[in-house]
Amino acid sequence: MVESSFDDKTECLTIFVDGRFDYSCHKLFKEAFVSANKAASVYEIDLSRVTYLDSSALGMLLLLRDHAGGEKADVRLKKPNGAVLDILKIANFHRLFDIEE
Amino acid sequence: MEQILNILIADDNPSDRILLKAILSQFGHNVISAVDGQDAVEKFDPDSIQLVCLDVKMPRKDGWEAALEIQRAAGDLFVPIIFLSGVADPIALSNCLRIGGTDFISKPYSPALITAKLNAIVRLLVMQKTLEEQRDAMSLYNEQLVHDQNVAKVVYENITHSNCLKDPALSTVHYGTHTFNGDVILAAYKPNGGMHLLLGDFTGHGLSAAIGALPLADIFFDWTKKGFLMRQIIPEINARLKSILPANMFCSAAFVDIKVNNKSIEIWNGGLPDLLFFSQQSKIPARFESKNLPLGILPPDVFECQIDPVTFVPGDRLVVFSDGVYEAQDKSGAMFCHSVLNPLYEGEIADDRALDWMVEQLTQEGVLENPHDDISCLSVRLDSNIGIESPDHGVPTSHHEAPADFSFEYLLNADSLRNTDPLPYVLQIITTVPGLSSFSSQIFMILSELYSNALEHGVLGLSSYKKSSSDGFSQYYDEREQKLAALKEGYVKISVKVTSSGNERVLALYVEDSGSGFDYQNISFDMSSSELLYNRGLALLDQLCHKLEFSKGGRGVTAYYHWQVGQDS
Repeated sequence: MVESSFDDKTECLTIFVDGRFDYSCHKLFKEAFVSANKAASVYEIDLSRVTYLDSSALGMLLLLRDHAGGEKADVRLKKPNGAVLDILKIANFHRLFDIEE
Repeated sequence: MEQILNILIADDNPSDRILLKAILSQFGHNVISAVDGQDAVEKFDPDSIQLVCLDVKMPRKDGWEAALEIQRAAGDLFVPIIFLSGVADPIALSNCLRIGGTDFISKPYSPALITAKLNAIVRLLVMQKTLEEQRDAMSLYNEQLVHDQNVAKVVYENITHSNCLKDPALSTVHYGTHTFNGDVILAAYKPNGGMHLLLGDFTGHGLSAAIGALPLADIFFDWTKKGFLMRQIIPEINARLKSILPANMFCSAAFVDIKVNNKSIEIWNGGLPDLLFFSQQSKIPARFESKNLPLGILPPDVFECQIDPVTFVPGDRLVVFSDGVYEAQDKSGAMFCHSVLNPLYEGEIADDRALDWMVEQLTQEGVLENPHDDISCLSVRLDSNIGIESPDHGVPTSHHEAPADFSFEYLLNADSLRNTDPLPYVLQIITTVPGLSSFSSQIFMILSELYSNALEHGVLGLSSYKKSSSDGFSQYYDEREQKLAALKEGYVKISVKVTSSGNERVLALYVEDSGSGFDYQNISFDMSSSELLYNRGLALLDQLCHKLEFSKGGRGVTAYYHWQVGQDS
């Protein structure tokens, strides 16, 4: 399940993913940041309820990073659980994203 | 929804039969009449009749029996059956529906009711027909898809499997979730002995995952064959994948370079679970974690290569696996890396059984029956003869050829030494001499030994004493990296001279450096003292060449390589 909300003051788009973060979330996740009608300056992905994340989810995060400006993007991955953090670390994603444990 | 139907009606009562026929014909339908159940079964043709109306009570064969036989004859085709009945008994009527009737019409006939029911039947038939057409189209499409995939699979396998995976030092396990596997295992002999290995795992599964494997394999094999180094091949693969793959696709991979002449391996891990190195000197395997981003994510200008070097003794083993193993779930739902794999990490599994053991665990935990991800494992028994006596390096074939006499000189100054690896280019020129191409592996080995000696000991002034311990070994390479990056002056000169006389050919490779030379008088070429890592290079050279000659106080060395052409014709 994917939900998103936009904070007008902080220009922060928060995307909340619940359960397995895999290819089945692809459409909803992409819609969450593509269809946002205002440009966000910060993206927060709340991973606290994500139980598992696969390589296509990593791909979606890269897609979001690209959308948010690539090198200049401010994308924060928040509260991943142990298993999810492990996967992010193996992929060395801490070099591309702010991971807030 | 106007449609003309072919309708079979059966009724033993002539007046009812004629009346029904008249009503149905009035709507434009074609009506075929039968006088009883038996007659109806005989007149039923599943290919032309679209609707059957049967009186329940008939001589010879009643409506129910006839209905069952007609349904059998119709097979997969849907032919609705309507029962005609003079009785209004609810049980008898519900029986009609129970045996597969679509509807029933009570006598006496009401034209209005018959019209309404016929319309309903026509709608049903149209829906059924649409479904059948869609089903047929889908099955045709699926057949086409499977066919296309099989063709593509052949091409794919020819490209990704044109390698030396059959080498006795390697064992592999490969389970795909689709026709196509998003995982690749590539292995190729290097021209100077040793081997390059790559285990890669593309995002996703199936064809879309496999498609990136084609350029990957292409670069891997081509560049390895040409003598490029791991640290040159990896950035090239990364750049190519970055430019062709969509932003959300990448390849987690491990690249391993097995160097036989100094018994070491270099490991690059980008996004795969820890590689396990089983040394005979230690009970617990050393783990080589992912220090790099996967391939195809970073643009070339910010891509870095974090490589771990390690020395081995023959019999040590390296085990690599994709996250299909690492993230597999056991029966209690825990990930393998936190449960099942622990004994492997703790050194409780004999290293030569590691792969079989993993397959046993995957089978036991039911992962192989229903894999969520492609699964690949690779195990390599490290040895100093890998890629040395391989069949690929084949028996030299004899050529009738013109005598070749040529020479050239290659002078690399500090800038070039820092930024380029000249060997593949030099090798390419040398092997244009037709007879010499069959010896390219030996020549490349000689050339790379001479060059690395000149660069590392001559120009950079590194002492090879350091390499005698495995800690020192990685320090040595760190130091090499730093000194090379800071190099301001110095040179390496490579001169190549080929001469011929009759069938005899001689290649003289002369390499000179700007260093301070060394005491070449006291060198031992005895391979038996080869525990000394730093001496192996020269001892190896001595074995490969006809003659090794030092000059300029050790700053210059010439290797003579002799061969013959056309002797057996």
